[in-house]
Amino acid sequence: MITIFLQHELKSFWRSRNTGKNIAVKIIMGILILYLLLCALSVGFFMDTFLNKMFPKQDVIVSFSGIILIYFMFEFISRTQLQELPTLKVQPYLQLPIKRNSIVQYLAITSIISAFNLIPILLFMPFIAKVIAVKAGGGVAWAYVVSILGLIIFNNYLALYIKRKANLNGWILIAVTALLVFVCLGDFLWHIYSIRELSYHFFGHLFNYQVLALVPVLMGVLMYYINFLYLKDNLYLEELSKKASKKSSTEYPFLDRFGITGDLVANEIKLIIRNKRPNSAIKVSCMFLFYGLLVYNKPSMHNDYAIILIGMLMSGIFIINYGQFMFSWQAAHFDGILVSKLNFEEFLKAKYLLFTIVSTITFILTTPYAYFGWRILLVQFIMYLWNVGVSTTIILYTANYNSKRIDLSKSASFNWEGAGATQWLLAFPLFITPFIIYLPLNLLGFPNIGLACVGVTGLLFILTRNFWVGLLKNNFYKRKYTIAEGFRNK
Amino acid sequence: MIQINNLKKVYNGLTVVNIPQLEIKKGESIGLVGNNGAGKTTLFRMILDLIRPDAGEVLLNDENVAGNENWKNYTASYLDEGFLIDYLTPEEYFYFIGSLHQQSRTSVDEYLAALSDFFNGEILKRGKYIRDLSKGNQTKVGIASCLLQNPQLLMLDEPFANIDPSTQIRLKNMLKDSNKNEGVTTLISSHDLNHITDVCDRILLMEKGKIVKDIATSSSTLAELENYFAVGQGDSTPTPPVIQE
Repeated sequence: MITIFLQHELKSFWRSRNTGKNIAVKIIMGILILYLLLCALSVGFFMDTFLNKMFPKQDVIVSFSGIILIYFMFEFISRTQLQELPTLKVQPYLQLPIKRNSIVQYLAITSIISAFNLIPILLFMPFIAKVIAVKAGGGVAWAYVVSILGLIIFNNYLALYIKRKANLNGWILIAVTALLVFVCLGDFLWHIYSIRELSYHFFGHLFNYQVLALVPVLMGVLMYYINFLYLKDNLYLEELSKKASKKSSTEYPFLDRFGITGDLVANEIKLIIRNKRPNSAIKVSCMFLFYGLLVYNKPSMHNDYAIILIGMLMSGIFIINYGQFMFSWQAAHFDGILVSKLNFEEFLKAKYLLFTIVSTITFILTTPYAYFGWRILLVQFIMYLWNVGVSTTIILYTANYNSKRIDLSKSASFNWEGAGATQWLLAFPLFITPFIIYLPLNLLGFPNIGLACVGVTGLLFILTRNFWVGLLKNNFYKRKYTIAEGFRNK
Repeated sequence: MIQINNLKKVYNGLTVVNIPQLEIKKGESIGLVGNNGAGKTTLFRMILDLIRPDAGEVLLNDENVAGNENWKNYTASYLDEGFLIDYLTPEEYFYFIGSLHQQSRTSVDEYLAALSDFFNGEILKRGKYIRDLSKGNQTKVGIASCLLQNPQLLMLDEPFANIDPSTQIRLKNMLKDSNKNEGVTTLISSHDLNHITDVCDRILLMEKGKIVKDIATSSSTLAELENYFAVGQGDSTPTPPVIQE
């Protein structure tokens, strides 16, 4: 049965509509993981040297035994953040004559296939073979191996169990993280206890009582079993148990004055707030507000090029980050937009309005950077004009060449859905164009005129907006069937 | 109202729609029937300018729909959930659609109040986004938003699917009422032969992209259609299977 599931998953991977993109992502991830594993392996081989340097007064085996639990402790923290839950779309199998146990077993067993489970093996085994087996004999070495394998399994299933629980209730992950932070603080800051001592005590006893190695194994098996039972119990709850809080209608009276355009903007704000993927796009934009802090406090970075780039990123990151998937956000109801009594000009104007509102807010939020010099504020204002005028138009133009559907409910990290070569190609002119204007004038010795030209260009674009809307609209009509068809492809 | 000339759509060498000539007059109520893959939805999408035909044209009120937006002022349609903005609450969606037609919130509210039977208490003020509604209830939202627009042309793709029997009957009455009393031209596709012959005055039967029958509904139409669709199943009346030992 498990082989059939594996086959189905392989098929779903190869036959998915974005297979090409998925493969690219997997290759990048694969290279990263391989690099990580190689690092682990080389650290593993030179573990004795490292340990001698770090704890010169101690026997290497003592220091080795001391770090094992500390490693697993931090590994557990990273597992809760990074490890992915194995997914098999369970639903189509539930009503078939397939034993629940085999579905659950599949989910439980495939979770072992993870780089997290390989790293400790590469990290610890060379030392065990090189040092412990030589000094203490095969029996003790095996005891080490078995207990480390047990800890891997235990960590694996504990992390998955907590992640599954956290899927239903986000607070659990926060509570667990807080607990782990306290455990770390208790050791490293308050010195109430020492995980290193504990680790040494346990592994030290392995020298005399090798049977103790079964303790971590038993813990691992127990955790597997708990996980198994939990999965089995919740096989049909997975979908149902999402919290159904009461949703209410919202209004933005501020937008009423803009008529239909305002209504469209209100809808789009709701789109951003109520869906996972655009929501994280917004959060990224907020993080970029602090970008200035990183750069401006270094006086060496106070040249116009840097400020132009950062000014552009800070007030324009929303335009870039959200705008690069323009129209795709609305893929799910694009047919509805096309047949509704809606002039496409209004649709475009709503996009402009949304960008203008968000850029204005981010510009205002970044005004305190004037602390680092008034010129910074000036350049930021110029780049704000540029973003509202030019960046918006470029990004809306690229939107006409994007016909990839986006699933709003999926999260944004490592999600290349809707991204295509066009996005990357067209993001390029976005960054280059202000410099094309500024650079020659600066080289000729007129940096201020260069900046003024950038600002004036932005302003001109804002003033001639209706003209650009018309151009974009005509271009859209040539492309609309392709876009609509692309969006219909799930 | 609708004039179709030489309309053709080909996918991968397979002709999915091929209609040399079709005219639908103002105030007619048309039922479109046909097995899966007959080309009903593709035809709808071409009428709504969502798919570019490979040949031919669709005229609404003598204007080609392609490259023209006037038809949107008097046409309301619901083909599938892709027409709904699913992260809005139903109320927000209705207000939005109303605002596109310059209707105030109070007039939308009045209109929705009149639909309370049709909604059966499952749509409004339930604290759900449209995406959280069942498929049947999404269909109700779609149909209600169509009627809200006071259209002259109403197009619904399988409106009877997914909704409960009481709502089906209410919907039939609403459709008949808007056609007979308000003169709305209706174009409906359905697999339910009973409903479609009940609601529509004229039935178009599609097969492999062609309109093979064009009949004015009479008392014998239902039997005629049942007969047609029973082809290949021996008799139109099912015979009990013979058990061989």
